[in-house]
Amino acid sequence: MLLPNVLAASSFVEVRPGLIFWTLVTFITVAIVLRAKAWGPILSLVEEREKQIASSIEAAKRERAEAEKLLAEQKTAIAEARRDAQEMLRRNQQEVEKFREELMAKSRKEAEEFKASATREIEEQKSKAIAEVKAMAVDLSMEVASKLLNERLDDSKHRALAEQFVQGLPVKQGRA
Amino acid sequence: MRKAMILLVGLMAAGAAYAAGADTHQEKESEDVAGYILHHVSDSRELEIEVPLSRNHIPIHLPEILIPLKAGACEKQMTDHGEVVPSLGAGCLDLSITKHTVMMWLAAVLLIGSLLIWSNRDKTKLVPRGTGANLFEMLVLFVRDELAIKNIGKEEGPRYTPYLLTAFFFILFMNLLGLFPWMATATGNLAVTLALAVCTFVLTQVAGIRSAGLGGYLAHLTGGVHWSLWFIMIPVEFLGLFTKPFALTVRLFANMLAGHIVIFFLLGLIFMLGHPAVALVSVPFAMGIYLLELFVAFVQAYVFTMLSALFIGMSVAMGHHGHEHAEEHGHGEGAHSHDHGKAHVLGS
Repeated sequence: MLLPNVLAASSFVEVRPGLIFWTLVTFITVAIVLRAKAWGPILSLVEEREKQIASSIEAAKRERAEAEKLLAEQKTAIAEARRDAQEMLRRNQQEVEKFREELMAKSRKEAEEFKASATREIEEQKSKAIAEVKAMAVDLSMEVASKLLNERLDDSKHRALAEQFVQGLPVKQGRA
Repeated sequence: MRKAMILLVGLMAAGAAYAAGADTHQEKESEDVAGYILHHVSDSRELEIEVPLSRNHIPIHLPEILIPLKAGACEKQMTDHGEVVPSLGAGCLDLSITKHTVMMWLAAVLLIGSLLIWSNRDKTKLVPRGTGANLFEMLVLFVRDELAIKNIGKEEGPRYTPYLLTAFFFILFMNLLGLFPWMATATGNLAVTLALAVCTFVLTQVAGIRSAGLGGYLAHLTGGVHWSLWFIMIPVEFLGLFTKPFALTVRLFANMLAGHIVIFFLLGLIFMLGHPAVALVSVPFAMGIYLLELFVAFVQAYVFTMLSALFIGMSVAMGHHGHEHAEEHGHGEGAHSHDHGKAHVLGS
């Protein structure tokens, strides 16, 4: 079984034009049918999927970036709010302190004033009472004197005399 | 698995022994092996369905279509080989349906059928479900991404993807069909691979003319050298055009044919040596070659498609090359890809 013999005797190296024709017809038919019915749908489906995956990844990236940005914003906002709150608290405390001090000062002043007016009133009442007591003492002493002297003197003369006497009395200036 | 293998080998050996024992003309048998192998791998005008463990063949005669190009050219002539239909040169176009034609049609029907089943899934669901759909999509994506886009480019690649996909699957199905019992390998026939290569060749030229224009295409044939050298370059480039489809034709044909011959020969060895014990060696070897053939079926479909994509890519690049470096009228990038292509053809 030498190779030249085989090639000469066999029909497998024979090229039949009919088979070329049928191969071309079949291949072109298959190509047209598959192009319309299989490759188109499969490739478009694949492309659509690729597009969708790409856009999903893109969207996910974008959303992630956005979320990160938002998170950062939130964080700064929270920090700011916290700082503000502390600031406000501090300021409030200061204000409260100031207000309290003011209030204390005011009430102290008022108390002082009240005390002063009360003292003044007491002084007035006291001097009035003393004057009254003096007048009564004059009357009493005049009565006593008239009774003692049993003599009716000129009222005004007596009165002047008695007043002179009372004035000569040592004034006991006691507190209360 | 091991037990199954041993059992299988045993069965094969028993079958071989039976066949050998039944044969009283052993000498004749061993001489017939070569003829048997050649008969099996060659095209024929009838389908023979062999009945296992018997010598009966059920022949199915295929229709004979003869178109006389000249009146009376298709008269059958009697020679010492029997009746012979006159050749095309004698004016008779023989379009008869043959074994390989039937196998090719079977492959085409199987291919279209399976693709229609698996591509007609729910269009709203973008994710493929099931083995068939996933397998097809994987192969489709492979052809598109690794062959079309890598060799032709991102812009032009998708245009040629359907052709490459058809070539890949059509060849793959024909290759695989030959591995089933009672079937034959249509791609083990020169006429089939020649026709397929012609398709790639035509598409390659169309791609070249399309991207470079007819002028650019013809200018490329001059190789971009000085006009005084054209008388050398034009024949060389012209020859180069035809080496590519020739390489495609012969590679696919020889690869598909060789594997089958080796399998048949390994099994034929049992009859040639005339002892059943040979089966213990030759059957496992034949099984190994069979598995190799399974691999080769994919590899050759891949190689044919890859080279087609490469050739188309070269043609497409020719146009871009012409447009971008028109004033240089050099051969720089084009020459590199050209040489690369040739090296590839020669190397594989």
